Amino acid sequence: MYKYIIRRILIFIPMLFALTIIVFGMAQLAPGDALTGVSLSDPNIDPEVYEIQREAYGLNDPIPVQYFRWISSVAQGDLGNSLVFNGRSVAELIQARLANTVYLGLFSLAITIIVAIPIGIYSARRPYSLLDYSATGFGFIGLAIPNFFFGLIAIYVLSIKLGWFPAQGTLSTPGMTGMEAFIDRIHHMILPGITLGLAGTATYMRYMRSEVLDVLGSDYIRTARAKGMSESNILYKHTLRNALIPIITLMGFEIGVLLSGAVITEQVFQYPGLGTLFLSSVTNRDYPVVMAIAMILGILILVGNLLADIFYSIIDPRIRYD
Amino acid sequence: MVKRKYGIAILGFLFLLSMLLSACNNETADPTEEEKEDPVGQEETEEEPEDTDETEEEATNDSPQMGGTLTGAMDTAPAGVFNPIFYQEAYEANILDFTHEALVSQNESLEFEANLAKDWTINDDHTEITLTLEEGVTWHDGEPFTADDVVYTYKAIASPGYIEAGGVRTEYANKLVGYEAFNSGETNEFEGVVAEDDYTVTFKFTEPNVTILKDVSFSIIPEHIFGDIPIADIPSHSATLDPGAVIGTGPFKFQDMLEREQYVLAKHADYWKGEPYLDQIVWRIVDQSVMLGLLENGEIDFISDPNGVPAADFETVAALDHIEIIEQTDFGYQLMGYKINHRTDADVDSGTLNQDNWVANEDMSEQLVRQAMAYAIDRQAIVDNLLYGHGSVINAPIAQQFWAYDEDAVTAYSYDPDQANALLDEAGYVDTNGDGYRETPDGEEWVVNLNYPTGNQLREASAPILAQFLEAVGIKIDLRQPKEMSAYVEDLTNDNSDWDLYLIGWSLGSGDPDPSGLWKSGAAYNFSRWNNPESDQLIEEAMQAPDAFDQSYREEKYSEWQSVFSEDLPALLLYAQNKIYGFHERLNGVNPMPYRFINDPHLWWVSQ
Repeated sequence: MYKYIIRRILIFIPMLFALTIIVFGMAQLAPGDALTGVSLSDPNIDPEVYEIQREAYGLNDPIPVQYFRWISSVAQGDLGNSLVFNGRSVAELIQARLANTVYLGLFSLAITIIVAIPIGIYSARRPYSLLDYSATGFGFIGLAIPNFFFGLIAIYVLSIKLGWFPAQGTLSTPGMTGMEAFIDRIHHMILPGITLGLAGTATYMRYMRSEVLDVLGSDYIRTARAKGMSESNILYKHTLRNALIPIITLMGFEIGVLLSGAVITEQVFQYPGLGTLFLSSVTNRDYPVVMAIAMILGILILVGNLLADIFYSIIDPRIRYD
Repeated sequence: MVKRKYGIAILGFLFLLSMLLSACNNETADPTEEEKEDPVGQEETEEEPEDTDETEEEATNDSPQMGGTLTGAMDTAPAGVFNPIFYQEAYEANILDFTHEALVSQNESLEFEANLAKDWTINDDHTEITLTLEEGVTWHDGEPFTADDVVYTYKAIASPGYIEAGGVRTEYANKLVGYEAFNSGETNEFEGVVAEDDYTVTFKFTEPNVTILKDVSFSIIPEHIFGDIPIADIPSHSATLDPGAVIGTGPFKFQDMLEREQYVLAKHADYWKGEPYLDQIVWRIVDQSVMLGLLENGEIDFISDPNGVPAADFETVAALDHIEIIEQTDFGYQLMGYKINHRTDADVDSGTLNQDNWVANEDMSEQLVRQAMAYAIDRQAIVDNLLYGHGSVINAPIAQQFWAYDEDAVTAYSYDPDQANALLDEAGYVDTNGDGYRETPDGEEWVVNLNYPTGNQLREASAPILAQFLEAVGIKIDLRQPKEMSAYVEDLTNDNSDWDLYLIGWSLGSGDPDPSGLWKSGAAYNFSRWNNPESDQLIEEAMQAPDAFDQSYREEKYSEWQSVFSEDLPALLLYAQNKIYGFHERLNGVNPMPYRFINDPHLWWVSQ
């Protein structure tokens, strides 16, 4: 098992390396650079100024030279400085937003699991009941509604009209601390959390329902029933464990999606996270930031998959790695 | 089983790449103008002319009250550089306009008037200006404001390494005496700005300066904070980035922030023009789609620069009883440019801008064709339907608010397809093969390409409309796929291509109407590659000392220049948008300047 984990982690290194080369290359192939976008903002500024800055930032160097400069500073633990935010350090820019994104991601994942798994199980145990039908209906609606639309409706009704939840941001006022800040943060995360978790909830519910149904119909459950095992034992000891495997695969994949796919939700709720920063950095050609985020997402996706693999062996003892 | 996991990792990886790709395609590069309406709305909106006076009246009705917090909304967070010499975006300006001040500032008629400097004398040949500063002005940290701060500010902009550190405002310093020597590091003494005593400062220019007051209008930063910090470290210094540490002389100080969410300004009680009425002004970053809802339910009090209320939502906001609206013309315009000339491959490679090497772009270099296209387009209809009437058609590339704008000097090019057809016939562009489209005078197929960027949705929506108008007079248009801004600008600049028509927008400064940065043949931003000696000469003459010290002389020259522009037509100016400011009626004392909403905020007060 440990050998397996170490082997997997070692494989990460060349994969990440390949990732940086591809992302860097693609980012550089896109026409324009960090200064072309701003260069039209004020016709009074002499374009010569931007030429001097290009030279100073090394943007005129050949791509391999730029890549080498970037990778060697990363190897020394320096993610570099943003080209757009007037030279602010990338690590500092990402830090605050990464925390926001992780909170929101975990919060929405928690909502998803708490809602989806019990409903999925219930639907499977009482198929074609009223709750099953409503859950299925909800599931399809949840999958069909675009994120931003649901978010806007939620803001309009729950926040602007009813005033139950704050519409934007992560905190009510700057400088809150302690328990008060924690509760305020949760309060701010409810709408974006639900919005972000909506599609996931629907998916997990459908998966859970069909997996449980599937397992309940299998031979070993029939055997268990035949030998007189109690229904709850059957459900919790035999069915759930087997039904959870595809859910875990999904979740391992979901970690990356939650972090990078929250762009639209973050935008609608003006929730300052990694997604919006990534998007704006790509459009602004802010390579140091793009590269840093790509690396972080790459690592998270790889780790997510590794975690999923490890969980398999815990949940299903038949799965062994060596 | 294990193999499959790699599949998933690869999937994840592909997902990431696809994110990158799709992001490249459809995101905005200029966040400054966002409108989200298609040009369907046909109804006429009744013009609501600037009702500044009305609000002022109200302010005087009852007496101002102390206290209160005001919340403003903007749709994009500032990058976070709260230093006048390094910031670049309108979003930071929204904060710096409260915290920092300049020696002189512009009034309603765009004349410079006293601010931190109460008085000044300019010598006869306009090479020197001596300003007397207000005494008793204190920085937010209690230190007195003196001439040394002024000297320091200009010295910082002139210092070597300023551009490399990210600064772009050299235009304010590079005309000063000794700039070259100081900037190249030859000497440590900068002779351009001299403190005569604590409250007198003299600016010395190498040549007679026509825009001398504009050049001394830069916001002042404190020497006692930045004096010992190397210029390269200023952008990342706490006094540039952090609330509480950003120090200015303005009526409000930058007190607190929740980065990218809220920016809190608190009153500077010792403000030299008098204690501000308001306790706090909070900027909240709010998504464009939610903004109106929050304005309606009172969570935010005002929407101002840079984007204001979208024209499409004007009626909705006007219908709110508790919201007042101020509408005024924006500086700047959108245009459809003609690539009259292209550069050669060699010039593009070496980055040379030499009009003698330019190659004429067939057809677009034909003046009659350019004029015909202008007649073919119904710009008033675009303003009425795309901007819902909240804009104006302009014919000269000088902002209408300037004394230099001359409506009478230009051809109006009002919509006249018959005239367009006649001009095209005259130029020899006729449909010879009966396919409904005109051929070139040589009888070859004639296709004109139209290029435009994404980012400004109104502009994007205007492109197909322009194409339709042009096709209606028999010009076959190849409407190219829009490009994302950074890519577009690169292609627009490196124009050894086949481009014919391009769309772009300019936001102009309010300081001076001199159009040389955009329309002189050697100017980098002259994307039409318009080469007209008469125009160049007029632009130069208008800035030529000593005649140009007389504004009426400049007026005359600009008026001549506008008529040259309008006749030769390097670009068709499409429209100038209106700024629409909306604010809660409890806010009193608002008196926007033509160029910005925030003016004398120490006089703003809320009725409780």
